[in-house]
Amino acid sequence: MHERVEVMRDLLDKQLVDADDTKMGRVDGIVLEIDGDKQPRIDHLELGFIVLARRLGPRVEKWFEAIRKRWSVRKSARQIVPWSKVLDVTAHEIKIDVKAMDTPAFDWERWMRDRVIDKIPGSGDDD
Amino acid sequence: MKKALTLALGILTSVGGFFDVGNIATCTQAGARFRFQLIWSMVLATILAIFLIEMSGRFAAVTKKALPDTIREHFGFTFWLVPFIVLTLIHILVLAAEIGGICFALHLVTGLPLQAFALPVAVLVWLFLWRATFSTIENSTSALGLITLCFVVATIWHHPPVHDVLRGALPSLPQDHASNYWFIAVSIIGAVIAPFMFYFYSSGAVEDEWDPSYIPVNRAVSVIGMGFGSIISIAAIIVAGIVLAPRGIQVDDYHQAALMLTSAFPYWGYVLFAVSMGIACLGAACEVALSMSYTFAQTFGWNWGENLNPAEDARFSLVYTASLLLGAMFTLVGIDPLKLTLITMALSAAALPFVAIPMLLLMNDRHLLRDAANGFISNLAAAVIVVITIVLAIVSIPLAFIGGS
Repeated sequence: MHERVEVMRDLLDKQLVDADDTKMGRVDGIVLEIDGDKQPRIDHLELGFIVLARRLGPRVEKWFEAIRKRWSVRKSARQIVPWSKVLDVTAHEIKIDVKAMDTPAFDWERWMRDRVIDKIPGSGDDD
Repeated sequence: MKKALTLALGILTSVGGFFDVGNIATCTQAGARFRFQLIWSMVLATILAIFLIEMSGRFAAVTKKALPDTIREHFGFTFWLVPFIVLTLIHILVLAAEIGGICFALHLVTGLPLQAFALPVAVLVWLFLWRATFSTIENSTSALGLITLCFVVATIWHHPPVHDVLRGALPSLPQDHASNYWFIAVSIIGAVIAPFMFYFYSSGAVEDEWDPSYIPVNRAVSVIGMGFGSIISIAAIIVAGIVLAPRGIQVDDYHQAALMLTSAFPYWGYVLFAVSMGIACLGAACEVALSMSYTFAQTFGWNWGENLNPAEDARFSLVYTASLLLGAMFTLVGIDPLKLTLITMALSAAALPFVAIPMLLLMNDRHLLRDAANGFISNLAAAVIVVITIVLAIVSIPLAFIGGS
């Protein structure tokens, strides 16, 4: 990839899709690495409610952190996607080289499906 | 062939989104108190709705993305959060009003209390969304929605004074009850330009896999679909103006509104009113509940689509399930559906800038839309729409307090 990418316009808040084109959240945060005098570089993308909460302010982040500790089914507060996993940045989405179902991004989806949706007849997993 | 079928999407959006509980409430109030004098408000609202629907469809056809999706991506999460919360609250109120409308229709036919129907109705709508695909919902509600044409039949049967009706299509100042007049005028616009319609329509276009070749179809759908809904609504104003106004019947309750078809259809009037109201509200309830799911899924980037099985998009399905349960609570605890509807329409009008302004900014983004971006006429309409929505936002809530009864 040799083209100009504007971090705010082209990366932040963009839809992420996995290798099978399953939608798996949005780019909630971008983390740069600044190492001494070297050129800053994008280290990884972040996903998760806690990342969104931090964008709203430190107090909101603290509230969410407290709620999360008590209720969350996620194993980790935020999911990290190393820049090396990014396959393609298009006008529509960012494609990454992972399987959505195996990542923390789908903890909630999996939990809802197994605990709630599958218990209701006609959800489609059985047909 | 598929393009011909997509006209159904427009008709569903108009029957569900255009002619729904909000229109039944505001149109019958308008006709009962001011006869034909407020038809202009419906005409104005229709023109605005045609432009906005055309833009949201064109946007989806070109970018293959729905509006909530792009608003977060483009303006960022911190910008989108406030409109997102406001619209979510309003959508729950609208859903509650639509469920109240279905319950009232069932009450009218069976005589059983409204509360008895709240949960069964929520379960019925839910079952429909749970099992059906997008096109089933689209086609069945638009076919059933044709029953609402009974308002047009009743209008023709009554031979309305054409001259008076046409004069009502032009704005005029009220002789008395000024604050109530303006409140109803604003509520009509709030009822017609419902925020969920644009999110539903653009998400539906993405579900139907529109591409730029759909731009002409979209234009036809907007004009015909909205026009169809508008004619039914104007017919409701006229019938209420002929039947209710001379007898001095004020619509404080949906029971009075239900009288309006009994002159044209002495035996079937009540039932026709009940069936029309039930179906219009059922279509709208499906749309609002789906809009909730679309908006949540797109905001957080979840997998979404009414064509997937619930197990494939668990969170998407859970949002409409929870919304329907919440919406049913209002009727269950005994809140009057008509009052709820009128207040919701005023709040909905107040929230319109949140819908209109981001949409109009996006429609001018050539980076996204290239040569399908807004031209001069659309932008002129857009500027007028923004001004009107801001005025509505300022006046609607105070008017709800002064003129609401």
